[in-house]
Amino acid sequence: MTAPLDPGLQAERTLLAWRRTCLAVGVVGVVAARFAAEALGAAAVALGALGAVLAAATHLAAMRRYRRARSRGAADARALGMLTAAVLAVGLGCGLYVLAGAWTR
Amino acid sequence: MWTASAPRSPRRPRTSGGGDESAPGDPADRFPRRVYAHGDDPDPRFSLANERTFLAWVRTALALFAAGVALEAVSIPVDGWFRPAAAGIFVLLGLVAVVYAWSSWMRTERSLRERRPLRGPAIGPVLMTGIAAAVLLLVIGFVV
Repeated sequence: MTAPLDPGLQAERTLLAWRRTCLAVGVVGVVAARFAAEALGAAAVALGALGAVLAAATHLAAMRRYRRARSRGAADARALGMLTAAVLAVGLGCGLYVLAGAWTR
Repeated sequence: MWTASAPRSPRRPRTSGGGDESAPGDPADRFPRRVYAHGDDPDPRFSLANERTFLAWVRTALALFAAGVALEAVSIPVDGWFRPAAAGIFVLLGLVAVVYAWSSWMRTERSLRERRPLRGPAIGPVLMTGIAAAVLLLVIGFVV
């Protein structure tokens, strides 16, 4: 059992925040793709899958960062950039879905 | 407004410009350079708190996306253009929140690295106004 990074368990809390955020990105992406599949077809599936894959990759990157943070502080912001890309993909899919709904009204 | 004034982390002495080119703190291999080329590493706890704020904004954006999609997916009795307009506002606000998550993370991290005061959240009013407008549209559409 290794000692925690600091008494406030900041690194642990941050890892948990990464975990629930990545999980939420994956779930929202897949569920939104499921709803949008009828209206958008392959585009919805592609954007939802892209969001889910990027969220999974981000979670792996966050775990790697966490292990490194124990030894020498926070590394860099690639995981943050990747998560931003994942959420933008999901958001784009949601926007297309809403637009398609308005179009076919 | 507050300033980052906690003592520097003992495990990371200021050695930028030292001999080793591939040192862990070398800004050349740290993304984004716009942030890491300036100042030097703050107390890791500040960076972690900044990171958690970024993640909280990401989850806010996801909630806004979910609200927009739910309005389209669930057939609520709101006629005309009120429903797609409200859904569009929610998704648009979500996109604003993602962009803000990333840009404010960069700004805050750079401020921490340069020991400058932090700026507060800037898009609170935008978010509140947008959500109020979307809810108002739904209420009007429900009554009309």
